[in-house]
Formats: sequence, C-alpha cells, structure tokens
Amino acid sequence: MERNKRLFAILPLLVGLFCVTITLAHSQQNFSSLIGTNSVSPVNSTSTLIVPYIVWGGEAALFYANGGLQTKPGSIMAQQGLTLKLVPGDDFVGQVKNYLDGRTPFLRGTFRMLGQASEVIGRDPKTKAVVFGQMTWSAGDHFVARSSIKRISDLRGKKIAIQTGGPHVGMLYDMLRTARLSKADIDLIWLDDLTGAEGPAEAFRKDPKIAGCFVITPDMIGLTGGYDNTGTGAEGTVNDAHVVVSTATLSRSIADVYACRKDFYDSNKSTIEKFFAGYLKGVEAVMQLKKSYENSGSQEYMKLLQMIQDIYGPDIIPTLEEDAHGLIADCTYVGQPGNVSFFNDQTNVITGFSGFNKSAIDMAISWGFAGKRYNLLPSDLNFSSSIFTSLLSNTVRMPVQRKRFKKETIRAEVEAFNEEDVLDEKTLVSFTIQFKPNQEKFSQTEYKEEFDRVVELAAKYGNAAVAIKGHTDPSKTLMTLVKTGIKRNIIKRTGQRGNYKYFMDGKSIRLEDTEKLIKLIQQKKFESGTEIESPYQVMRAGLELSEQRAEAVKNAIVNYARKRNVRLESDQIVPIGMGIKEPVIAKPTNPEQASENRRVEFALVKVSAETVAEADFDF
Amino acid sequence: MYFQYLRPTLSLIAWSVLIFAYNSPTHATESEGSNGADTSLAIHKENIVVLLDASGSMNDPFSVTNQDNESITKIQVAKEALETVLTQLTEDVNIGLLVFSVAHSDPWLYPLGMKDEVRFLSALSSVEAGGGTPLAQYMKSGADTLLAQRERQFNYGSYRLLIITDGQAKSAELVNTYTSAIKDRQIRIDVIGVDMEEEHTLATVVDSYRRADNPEQLVEAVAKVLAETSTDTQNGNNSQFDLLQPLTEELAISLIKALTKAPSNQPIRAEEEKVESVRPQNVDQTARNTNKSSASDNPKDTLILIGFLILSGVIFFIFRSRQKPN
Repeated sequence: MERNKRLFAILPLLVGLFCVTITLAHSQQNFSSLIGTNSVSPVNSTSTLIVPYIVWGGEAALFYANGGLQTKPGSIMAQQGLTLKLVPGDDFVGQVKNYLDGRTPFLRGTFRMLGQASEVIGRDPKTKAVVFGQMTWSAGDHFVARSSIKRISDLRGKKIAIQTGGPHVGMLYDMLRTARLSKADIDLIWLDDLTGAEGPAEAFRKDPKIAGCFVITPDMIGLTGGYDNTGTGAEGTVNDAHVVVSTATLSRSIADVYACRKDFYDSNKSTIEKFFAGYLKGVEAVMQLKKSYENSGSQEYMKLLQMIQDIYGPDIIPTLEEDAHGLIADCTYVGQPGNVSFFNDQTNVITGFSGFNKSAIDMAISWGFAGKRYNLLPSDLNFSSSIFTSLLSNTVRMPVQRKRFKKETIRAEVEAFNEEDVLDEKTLVSFTIQFKPNQEKFSQTEYKEEFDRVVELAAKYGNAAVAIKGHTDPSKTLMTLVKTGIKRNIIKRTGQRGNYKYFMDGKSIRLEDTEKLIKLIQQKKFESGTEIESPYQVMRAGLELSEQRAEAVKNAIVNYARKRNVRLESDQIVPIGMGIKEPVIAKPTNPEQASENRRVEFALVKVSAETVAEADFDF
Repeated sequence: MYFQYLRPTLSLIAWSVLIFAYNSPTHATESEGSNGADTSLAIHKENIVVLLDASGSMNDPFSVTNQDNESITKIQVAKEALETVLTQLTEDVNIGLLVFSVAHSDPWLYPLGMKDEVRFLSALSSVEAGGGTPLAQYMKSGADTLLAQRERQFNYGSYRLLIITDGQAKSAELVNTYTSAIKDRQIRIDVIGVDMEEEHTLATVVDSYRRADNPEQLVEAVAKVLAETSTDTQNGNNSQFDLLQPLTEELAISLIKALTKAPSNQPIRAEEEKVESVRPQNVDQTARNTNKSSASDNPKDTLILIGFLILSGVIFFIFRSRQKPN
C-alpha cells in the first residue's frame, strides 16, 4: 500500500517513460502508418545480441541471468557462451523499427502487441516473427470502474479509457468477447501513456463521464485503495472506484513473449535456444531467491532488487522491498513446463500459441491495426532437448495439464457465496439455457455455442470459477404450500375454481403473514395417520433436482471438451443447485410460464486465491 | 428361517425399493458418469438414521399373532423388517443405526455411513433389548449427526430420522422441543408406533406416523417409509395452476424467499442454548462500549467518581486542618 502511494505520487512525472509511446495515435490505426517507410535490412550483429527489455517483472530473470545490462563474466548467459546487450524497449513502435532495420533480431512484447504489428513485420518473409518463448502471464493489470459497471456486460455504451497500442488492448478485446460485445458497443478514449499524467488513471480521475479505465497495479491501488476495496474519495482514491476484472482473474490474457526474425531464427537457432534456456535458468534462480527472501530473507535477492532499481531508475522503482519486489510479484512465470504447455500441448487450444495467434490476428484485422492476415509463427524449439533439460531443474518432457484447483475448496467457496447471497456480486458475466421438464440429456449439438463459451471462459479466466447454476420451477412448492394450508385449515378458501380467494385469520393473506403461514403449516398438529406433503420437502427436492441438472450440464461440457480434445479442468466448473429461489416468473399461471423457470445459468465467478493450489509455475 | 408373513409384502417391498432406486438422486449422475466424467462429489446422498427402540418392552411379543399364529417379539420383527428392507436399498445411501437399549454402551451400532451389508447385518443382529425409552437424547444424537453430514454435503441430499418405537418417551416435553427444532432444520422425521395401545405423542407432529399393530404392518411400514423418495418431479399438476392464481406476485416471491432460507446445521441443543445466551452477551458488550465512550454516562461510574471526589475533599480538609496548628 505504502509503496504504491509513493510510486503513485511520482508517477505523474514519468510521462512517456513507462511503456509504449505511440505519439501519433489517438485512436487505433493501421500499425504501418506508425512505422513509416522502413526498409528491411539484415541483422547487424550476431556476436553481440541486442535484446530489448521493458518495465516488467518478467525481465528480472533476464537481468539476473545476464548479470546486468551487459553480460557479466560468470553469469548464466556468459556460461551459455552468449554476449548480450540489453536495451530499453518500452517504445514498441521503436522496437519494431529496430527489428526491421536489423539492429536487433528480437521483439519483446505481449502477444497481442505483436499481433498489432503482424502485418508490418509479416509482409517480408525475412521478418516474420517466430514467437520462440513465453516469459510470463500478467497478474497485475486491472480494469477499474465506477459503480455503473459491476459486470463485464455493463461495459455496453460506456466511456472507457485505455492506452493506445499497449498491453491492455488485448485484455479489453478478451473482456468484450467474454460479454459478446464489440468495439462499437463502447466509447473508447485512447491515451498515449500507460500511466502518469497522460495515462488512463488520470483521465478517469478527472472526467466523471469516463466509467472505467485500464491500469497497472500502482494506479489501481491509487484509485480504489486496494484490490478488494472500493474508493471513497479519501486519500486520492476515486469514489466508488473498484476492480471489475484483473489479470489475477483473467489470468490467460496477457502473455509476455519473445519473438525473433525468421531469417535470424533459421540461421541461428542454437543461439536462440541457448538464450532462452538461459532466460529460463534465470527464472528458476529468481524464483528460488524470491522464496528464500520471503521465508528468511536473502542477500542475493536484495542484490537483484538493487539491480532492478539501478536499471529502471529510482523514479520508477523508488524502493526495493516494495516496488522492485512488487514488480516481480505482479507476474507469474511459466518456466519450461509452461512453454511446453503453450507451444506443444495440442489440447491447449485457447490459451496456447494457436489460440493466441488467432485472437491476436483477429483483433488486428477487426480493430484496423492490420489490413491483411499475417500469422505469427510458433516456436519449434525442442524444450525437452538437453540444452534445456541439462540446465534446468524443473522440466517436463510431455505437456502436462496441471490440476490447478482445489476441488473441495472452490466448491465450498461458491456454495458459501450462494448461501450468503453474494454470488451475483461476484459474477462477471452470465448467460442462460432453458430446458424441458425432466430433461436429463444435454445435447452437444443443441448447446454447442454455450458449451464453447464455457470452455473459453474457463481457459481465459484461469483463476475464476464457472458456476453452473441449476434453477427449478417453484410452482409445485407453492401449490403444496397452498394445498397443505387449506388441508390444515390455516388457509381458508372461498369462491369458485378459477376465482379463488385466500384468507388467513379472517383477512386476505398479506405479505407480513409469510413467516407465520409457513411456520403454521410446518409445525401444526394434524390428524394421525394422514400424510401431508411438506412444502419444505418439495422445495428440497427441487434443490436436489436443480443441482443434478447443473451437474448433468457440467458432465456434458466436460465430455464435449474431451471429445474435441480441448483442455478443460473439470474442477473449475462448479455445479450449484439454486432450487426455486430465483424464479424468472415467481407465480406461473400456466405450464409455459413454469417452463421459463427451468433453466441453467452459467456464471463466471471471481473466487479467492485460496481455491488455486500453489505451484512454482503457472500454466 | 424366513417368516411366512413376509411373503404377501414381498412384492410391495420389491416395488418400493425399485421406485426408490429409480428416483434416488444418484441415479442420474451414475448414468452420466458412465460417459467418463467422474467429477461429482458425493453430495446427493440420501441419509437415513434409524432410531430403533430396544427398550425392555420391545422384548414383548405382539399382542396379535402373525398369520401362522406364531407369537414373535416386537424387536425380532423390527430387526427382520430392517434387514429385509435395508439390504435392498441402493448402495449409495448412507445409513446409521442408533439403538436405545441399556444393553449397548455405544448406541451407534452402525455409525452413519456407506452401506456395508455384512457389517450392517452383524450390527443389527447384535441388537439386544433392555431398559427404558430415553427418546429425546437419541433424537438429538441422530439429528446432530445428520446435520454434520449435511454440512459436508453442502446442504444437498436428504436427511431423515426413522423412529421405530413401542412406547411413550420418558420426557415428552423435551421430545417435543427437539422435534420442533429438528423440523425447523428441515430434517424429516418418520415414526412407526409398534403395537401401541394409544397413539404416540409424536404421531401428530412429525412428517409421517404409521401404526404397526401386527408384524405384517411393521414390515409394510418400514418398507413404505423407505420407499418415499426425496426426489420428485418439480412439474406442478397442470390443473393446479389456479391454486396459485389468488396469490399476488409479491406474496409468491416472499413465500419463496422464506422457504428457501438456508436451514441451520448447528447441533440441536447447542443452538437452543446459544439463542438464550445471546442477550446477556450483548448487554455486556454495550456496557463495555459505554464505559469506553464516556465514564459519566454510566450512573454507577458517576457515583463512584462523586464518592471519590467527596472522599478526597474530606481527606484534603482533614489534612489541612491537621497542618494548620503548625
């Protein structure tokens, strides 16, 4: 908190320093117009590799492995036989220019940023980008909004502030897709900077008409007071500002990657391999140091934090233990197993290379960054070769699907949300399917669209639950209540069929009589030997049925994914019985109306970090 | 040995059990599960705790004989009936056998859990009758066990106490209090009165009461109780929608809200005590808060303060008057 306040105070001074500065653009535009007329030249040097870096925790591993901006003797990279020169790359347009010019063979960005440049770099076969390694997933980017936006679907018609060309564009793209909205449904305010005076947070702060903004962690805390807090207006926070979605939840949205020019990649593959193996070794070392720092303190980790501060400067990293350490904590490393998962797992359809390539190019075309589809190329590095396995200690040979969720914990948490009536509050998006009375089978053809959507949500929102909420119709429970009430003489009925009137204690039944009526029906003595249906029992039967339906739908989805060989962790899908408690029509007057109540609702639910098992690498 | 009188009821039992098995909540998940998706937790289990009265009087024979004119003890028939019916229950029902008899130091002859036929039958055969009928404490024990299980099953599943008894309980008042508390927690209570001259006091307040005046009736009653299923279709009878017509939309919503309030899983006695102890605690809390905010708000404190001031005034004057002569 303290660190973020401090950082936030200095941030307005950092205009243009932090990330991509695309000076021309105030709306998205074709990326080639930002680059100008750049001719492609061969890569200048192979003896010293020029590697761009940006302000991101994933870079810590690179700094550590290299021993600083220049390769230090004895460092991991030196032992790999490499000489690297690390250069600032926060200006992504500048990076692309250098890449085309041949000053560096590398691009360093988020996957979707590469997608925005896909046409510019893809037109010439020599500069097509081979995405050869994934560094991290982001857990430190956030969409903060005022009270008018509670769910993602509330974005419709709202004014949203976002940095041009930066890491949040892909995140926004994912969110719109989640809610089945298009860019035309929202009003985007494009800003030059990621943070600072010209960034989205300040725009949001100044203009109350801006309903939401995409920000990094320090800005998020500045606006809201903390991840789980809502701004009050005090201490620089903005009244009602709260985190709607964060990459802590939408954890498979921002993938930070390295890409290499195709011509260079083909002729220097072993160098690329050594470089990336060295990077991954740096990751393992940093993680080890971070662990021992958190357990008992670590001199070496402090040295690394100092190096980070020295490289970025004290303006960006004012303190070591808060800012430098916080930078590392905002990202999750994927390691060698994560790269195997990203590039080699055929079942990782949505959040692996192929899924990201598709969505990156889709976005580039539909949002006007590119006029033609030029695919990015996948890494064909052999992550199980001895270059990697001899150097690294945590490796896998085949793709593994990590069992990430704690089944009982996530289930208990979602059930508790339901019991405490906060399930709606925790829901990011929801949609519904109807079904027929007593329907037990859920056809994979009929519900293909919904099933696909669930599979996609589960993949992208890697730390959220997809709750499948079964709802039943309350008619029978209410009928039983009335019938039992009449039989037990608690409710008096007058009039003819079709025109009944009910009385209790000589008066029409009023709203205030609810509890009393139920209590009387439940507790009143009745004639021995008679058997009277209890509305509670019927209600409980409905609860059972609704959960079973939800479970049947879940099983259908799990089977659907399995048949298509698409990765889906079944514990992330949480069936839940809502029973009769949330009817669409509380008092149906005919079977058609009753059937509207029989439905299954899919809800993307934010859950706590405790529901996910801890692991070294997140993939 | 197989009792003659069981035969006429065999087909009834078979049907009941069949219906039970079909409607059993796990039926649907089993067939889904066969598709290869083993993802469910065991949360839909039906839980039945049988409270078997094995007081001394259960050693008496039925006042009427069976069809073959044999004279059989009530406990014997009850055991046979439970054996026949329970062994035919689907595998995924949790059962428990709680026996009240001085003959057993641990009344849970079969603790609530998965049905293990061999163990269950051996538990059942070990039942010996003797002593009085302390029903209340066993009701509490049975209900608390079911509530703990419901907590584990996230409030899904069904929970019932089946009481088989032949005599009035010792402390009828406590039985009534517990009955009410158990029903408030939405646990079903079924009672079978075995060869009783008059109706059991529970007869009119539980979810079902059956008389078993002869051995055939007892077997039939056990079979019937266990045949009742918790899962039913939720489709209202089409002709009954006019039953709802007089309710306003608001009243319907209000009734649904009240009915769906999550039931408590707190143990029976503990919660009753807690309700009583809430008030004094709150008073303490308030008093403490008041003290904190301002001492003079509290009359007692004010008195002490005044007393202290007077006392120090007096001491001061005494002290001064003593010093004066010097």
